[in-house]
Amino acid sequence: MRPMSNEENPEEGRTEEAPTAGEQTGPVQQTGRQRLAAGLWPPRLTRAQLIVAVLLFVLGLGLAIQVRSTSDNSALRGARQEDLVRILDELDNRTQRLEDEKQRLEGQRTELESSSDQAEEARKQTQEKARQLGILAGTVAAQGPGITLTIQDPHKAVQADMLLDTIQELRAAGAEAIQINDVRVVGDTYFSDESGIRVDGQKVGAPYTFKVIGKPEDLEPALNIPGGVVQTLEKEQATATVTRVEKIVVDALRPAKRPDYARSSSQ
Amino acid sequence: MIAVLGLVVGVVVGLFVRPEVPAVVEPYLPIAVVAALDAVFGGLRAMLDGIFVDKVFVVSFLSNVVVAALIVFLGDKLGVGAQLSTGVVVVFGIRIFSNAAAIRRHVFRA
Repeated sequence: MRPMSNEENPEEGRTEEAPTAGEQTGPVQQTGRQRLAAGLWPPRLTRAQLIVAVLLFVLGLGLAIQVRSTSDNSALRGARQEDLVRILDELDNRTQRLEDEKQRLEGQRTELESSSDQAEEARKQTQEKARQLGILAGTVAAQGPGITLTIQDPHKAVQADMLLDTIQELRAAGAEAIQINDVRVVGDTYFSDESGIRVDGQKVGAPYTFKVIGKPEDLEPALNIPGGVVQTLEKEQATATVTRVEKIVVDALRPAKRPDYARSSSQ
Repeated sequence: MIAVLGLVVGVVVGLFVRPEVPAVVEPYLPIAVVAALDAVFGGLRAMLDGIFVDKVFVVSFLSNVVVAALIVFLGDKLGVGAQLSTGVVVVFGIRIFSNAAAIRRHVFRA
């Protein structure tokens, strides 16, 4: 910039010189304002006016074109090559950055989707497991094929150990859910003889109705084998009837109980 | 008056005809316009001083434009085009201001 202005200085001196020199030599009768007015009106078709008009026409043309092109295509049209290269570079970088970000976000999305899928799957499995365990623990109702065993006891001869034997026999034959009258039989069920038979502390009276879910073809013979439950009961003057049922509902429930002492050892 | 008409016609033609500027000339157009503006202000000042000579005006107008374009062209070749064109604009801006001050003194007497 500095050498530039030096270069310009002589030219400035020249044009500057012309008016001052003219002012010294030329006689001054009129003020500048009068000269301006005289030049503007009336319009005279002199050579000087024509030449100036042509040059000013060129100036106006250039001015208008420049203004138009600058407002037309934003800054890019008038920009220099190196600026354009820089702008292009910046755009490329920006595109690259945005592309990277897009990839990152897409990865995140897939991750989230698959993890939510996994969570859903795990939840389903947990529910399934909870149902299975609920059937074992007696906290949910169960249904399926099975048998009903009804023991009529007109002589009050049936004792708790006989019912226990029956349960054992049924379990050995693959019974999966058992209910005696209104009491669900599960792993910690106990039988006792205190003023009648009690199952889990609840009094159970004759007739004793067993609802058992399991494979009927296995359960029925297990009870009816010679020397088995049915024969033993009949010896005691009690009658036992076994019926196969296509669909049986074991709907007696037990409350879920949190163990006070036992803790899972697989931590 | 004719001169002012010429300027107006030029602007109008430029705005409405939309002539295509060749790509080679395009980078020098803004500098050339500023240079021409400088010449016009110088001419106006000379007229107010009563020493206007049309030949001087024509030569200064054309040489201003050519030299300014040349400087920018040279700057582009040297790789300092942006800085040089800024310098040219600054110099012309200063000259336009000083000429405008002289014109103002004539017209408003202040």
